[in-house]
Amino acid sequence: MIFAQFMSGLSRGMMLFLIASGLSLIFGVMNILNFAHAALWLVGAYLCYTFWYLMPNAALGLWLSIFLAALSLAAVGWIIEAVLIRRVYDRELSEQLLLTYALVLIIDDLIKIVWGVEDKLIARPPLVAGPVFIFGAPLDSYFIFVICVGFGVAIGLWWFLKKTRYGHIVRAAVFSREMVSALGIPIPRIYTGVFALGIFIAGLAGAIQAPVGSITLGMDMAVIIQAFCVVVIGGFGSLLGTFVASLVVGEVYAFSILIWPEGALALIFIVTALVLIVRPWGLFGTPART
Amino acid sequence: MKRSFWLVLVFIVALALPSVIGEFWVHVAIEILILGLFAVSFNMLFGYMGQLSFGHAAYFGVGAYATGLLLLKTPLPLPVCFFISMAAAGLAALVFGYFCVRLTGIYFAILTMAFGQLIYYIIFQWYAFTGGDNGLQGIVPPGWLLNVRHYYYFTLFIVIGALVVMWLISASPFGHTMRAIRDNAERTRFIGINVRRYMLINFVIAGMFAGLAGGLLGPFNRSIAPDLCNWQQSGIPVFMTVIGGPLAFFGPMVGAVIYTLLFALITGFTEYWPLTIGLVIILVVLYLPGGVLGLVQKKWIPLHSKKLTPGPNGGAGEEI
Repeated sequence: MIFAQFMSGLSRGMMLFLIASGLSLIFGVMNILNFAHAALWLVGAYLCYTFWYLMPNAALGLWLSIFLAALSLAAVGWIIEAVLIRRVYDRELSEQLLLTYALVLIIDDLIKIVWGVEDKLIARPPLVAGPVFIFGAPLDSYFIFVICVGFGVAIGLWWFLKKTRYGHIVRAAVFSREMVSALGIPIPRIYTGVFALGIFIAGLAGAIQAPVGSITLGMDMAVIIQAFCVVVIGGFGSLLGTFVASLVVGEVYAFSILIWPEGALALIFIVTALVLIVRPWGLFGTPART
Repeated sequence: MKRSFWLVLVFIVALALPSVIGEFWVHVAIEILILGLFAVSFNMLFGYMGQLSFGHAAYFGVGAYATGLLLLKTPLPLPVCFFISMAAAGLAALVFGYFCVRLTGIYFAILTMAFGQLIYYIIFQWYAFTGGDNGLQGIVPPGWLLNVRHYYYFTLFIVIGALVVMWLISASPFGHTMRAIRDNAERTRFIGINVRRYMLINFVIAGMFAGLAGGLLGPFNRSIAPDLCNWQQSGIPVFMTVIGGPLAFFGPMVGAVIYTLLFALITGFTEYWPLTIGLVIILVVLYLPGGVLGLVQKKWIPLHSKKLTPGPNGGAGEEI
């Protein structure tokens, strides 16, 4: 029972990490808090449904759909950055927030126009349809897949940021835009790339979320606030912080829903407020960024 | 001189309005007044203190629930309910604001949002007291306000009274101290001002007037739902203020007129209101920084009569 709850918290945490890591990456590098992140995440889920629907007989239908959804969402992110976000880099925080908030309203209505108001359901392939038994506890096998992808993305992002040339440029851009740009590296292209990467992960998260339950309009509204909380708790721009905070929030939710179901969601906001009051830069962030 | 002319003109139009328009538009006008008051109270934080609150709807909601519950469960007269609404919202703002004013910028925005969501979930889950997600139904104003035109005049005078008070606050030494904090908090501290205390007082004032606006809403709608406390609702005064112009005292009011009229017109023939307002906001942010009143200032107020300085929010001109 407790183990099952732990695993459910783990998979919930991983899902949050997939959403929040892109959010944190974009904020850390570009200083833009992307309200539209969860709306794009939901588009990823709907795209996954559409690809899956178009390939009813393909053996790898769902897996291919997840990949295609993430890829096409990255393209959408690339366009959004090039057309809109780029224009507000040197603007006030409030204007940047408003722009991405306006995007939420537009994207949610576009989803309604394109996919309609009915819930969408994806039938899982047999591999991940049934439960598996670990220590005698029945577990949803799809959760195992979610957890694996979460760890995979975490390791992949870490490797990208720490070990590759592009990762080094991105981390340098976090510290000083001017310096990186003085070295002849085109900052706008780096920003577009980072935004597209963040949205790619959001698309991956959305597509993976799609077969968990039904895909519903407005799912993104609760998710974006939780993702903000995770990023705040972990510290803006800190990958490790986001990872730890996702797991903490996932587990706190999974266990508090057993003990005190009414308070489970409120608890996240209490934790977030506490962290902001005591350590505004988050558990793993650095004070310099405030 | 010129502004007082406009204010008198707007006042006369507001007085004459209910006798020339139909009942539907009287409803719209009341909504403009209530949401305008809400937006002006928000701008006490945003325009005058320079901090973006993304949880202001919580205080609006606390005020709405206070008046709603008092009307349903006690025989108190409506004006007393409004005072209690303001006190309740002010108290909530005091408790949460105490922590919020320690932060600025993005952290202020997120902490106000987190507290706002906390209040929202409390109201949403507390079935025994607030009715949970059913909200409160059957909030009936006293007999003399049942007629919608009467309620319009009642709201008009309360909102004007509240605007006068907020105008006096913003024009007082306190108001100028807030502008100083907005423009440079560090220098303001150096001249011996307790920045946090001033910000907290301002936060409480903004919360109280949001509570008053919320109080006006219940007897007008005859019902209250918890949705009016959540973060999407907190976005509405932000939209109004940015459309109207955050650097002018009446900017949020102008924004409330534009937003609410647009809402009434657009929802008449399409359900895609969010899409429409989203596009409007993007256009305003990209091409009209400073809002409508910012544009008016730039275009129509001659340069030699007033020195224009770039505002902190990317807008042009000082307060009008």
